[in-house]
Amino acid sequence: MITFENVVKTYGDTRVLNNLSFEIAAGEFTVLIGPSGCGKTTTLRTVNRLIEPDSGRIFINGQDILQMDKVALRRSIGYVIQQIGLFPHMTVQQNICVVPKLLRYDKSRCDEIAHEMLSLVNMPYEKYAHKYPYELSGGQQQRIGVLRALAASPPIVLMDEPFGALDPITRSILQEEIKKLQRKLNKTIVFVTHDMDEALFMADKIIFMEKGNIVQMASPEEMLENPASELISSFMGKRVRGSDQSQKTAADVMIPNVYTCYRDYGVRESIEIMARRSVDSLVVLNPDQTYAGTVSVRTIRDDAKQHKTIETLIRQDNPTVFTDEDAQECFQKLLDGSYGYLVVLRSDRTLAGIVTKTSVARALADLVWGDNGSDVI
Amino acid sequence: MTDAIVRFLQLYQQRLIVAFATHFLYVLISVSIAFVVAVLLAILLSRIRGLASVLIPLLSVFQTIPGIVFVGILFLYNGMTASTVVIALTIYAVFPILKNSYVGIIKVDDQYKEAARGCGMSPMQILWKVELALALPSIISGFRISVVYTVSWAVIAAMIGMGGLGEIIYSGIMSNNNVMILGGAIPAAIMAILLSRLIDVARSRLLPRSMRRGIT
Repeated sequence: MITFENVVKTYGDTRVLNNLSFEIAAGEFTVLIGPSGCGKTTTLRTVNRLIEPDSGRIFINGQDILQMDKVALRRSIGYVIQQIGLFPHMTVQQNICVVPKLLRYDKSRCDEIAHEMLSLVNMPYEKYAHKYPYELSGGQQQRIGVLRALAASPPIVLMDEPFGALDPITRSILQEEIKKLQRKLNKTIVFVTHDMDEALFMADKIIFMEKGNIVQMASPEEMLENPASELISSFMGKRVRGSDQSQKTAADVMIPNVYTCYRDYGVRESIEIMARRSVDSLVVLNPDQTYAGTVSVRTIRDDAKQHKTIETLIRQDNPTVFTDEDAQECFQKLLDGSYGYLVVLRSDRTLAGIVTKTSVARALADLVWGDNGSDVI
Repeated sequence: MTDAIVRFLQLYQQRLIVAFATHFLYVLISVSIAFVVAVLLAILLSRIRGLASVLIPLLSVFQTIPGIVFVGILFLYNGMTASTVVIALTIYAVFPILKNSYVGIIKVDDQYKEAARGCGMSPMQILWKVELALALPSIISGFRISVVYTVSWAVIAAMIGMGGLGEIIYSGIMSNNNVMILGGAIPAAIMAILLSRLIDVARSRLLPRSMRRGIT
């Protein structure tokens, strides 16, 4: 458990931490968020005393950390930074074992740790342990950055915008990995970000800061429902307002995962797929992934015997729309026609998804929930 | 010409070996001392940046004073001893190592120092395991420059009659004997080439794969 008691930090005339008092429970994933200069990073860095407060006290499990030896304190707390900071002259294994070595673990114990750690992130030891950081991708480097922080099994890990420098895809993969890892290892994680989506996804508890003060400390759900200030609402902008309906397109209301088959599939094979997925029709694709038509169980049953492949059974009369089509128009088409769904195509005529009545309903529900049932509808 | 060389080698073999060995010892001793002094000074300057901005330009100006002048002055105070030669060479050898080490240390990216602090390294451990380790390629290239220069600077030992290959070169100049001039100059060149090769080999042994990139 981490406890802040009236912590103050001043740089020149600015108070970066204004009498902060809060508690973080053990095993909790806490995210510090706020506009830049709000003091979130400063708060984080006082926990391992990279920054010393001017006044106030900080306790970890009841022990006043300002009375502890700084170096020993830091060895007992994991630390991950945005720039990753893997030592370029050390291999992956050496990087992972930095803290264990500082703690004078023997060599076999260090080897063991390196094996154990790499297996946590599914990076085979034989393949990666002896590589240098420059030989890894950004995502792999930050995985090792996290492992370095975890290597000596610290109960607390501090992360300062750890995914800030990664591309969006790698970023979301790592977010999931770290979230899982935290649950599995039951660590207390304090995590700084300026990305509300990241905070909402990762956090058990979000601490929203502004100008050195805590504006709100709440679970993601609570913060979404009752943001304590205008600033918080604006941070959660798209989540809360869900934007207005007129801007929604087919892409927003479609189901992206669609059961498909190719035009050269056998009749039996196609029926099999429909049966297994409990659907009554499939979208048929050309070999180059473009849209060929649909095939429904009714047409197959009518004259299945005469055909080997579905080629001749494909119908092209199912309505199609492009991804940027207005969502309301889609819904109108769906209600007007006798077809169960609309096929959504990208501009190159590859399949993007389908719009069904259910998918539209779900999109509307999101809108209602997201806006807390207020004025949009 | 070949005759002349053979005759030179026969006549001066003994003297050449002694001169070569003396020359080598001057280089070895002064560069070794210079290395320790320069690296310590570089560490100090990297901690007190203000001092560095005064001292480094000052030293680089000092570096332009011809060696002969400096040895001459030092000779007046310290007399005709080997230590005069060693002191002069050391002072000259310090600068390239100092400058390279200093730049190498201050160029270590903050992210590594930040990570090292966060991992719980003590200031001493950060210096050794991170700053000096990462500055090593730069320190070694400074060392290499100093070694090569010192081999040629050590010729001035002969100016105050303290031996080395310079003695043979000066004798050649005095007696207008080209073979003799080359007889002193070529071994000095060979020494410089061999030593720099040796440093290259040592460097590739010393540096991890990740730090040999981009160095030729």
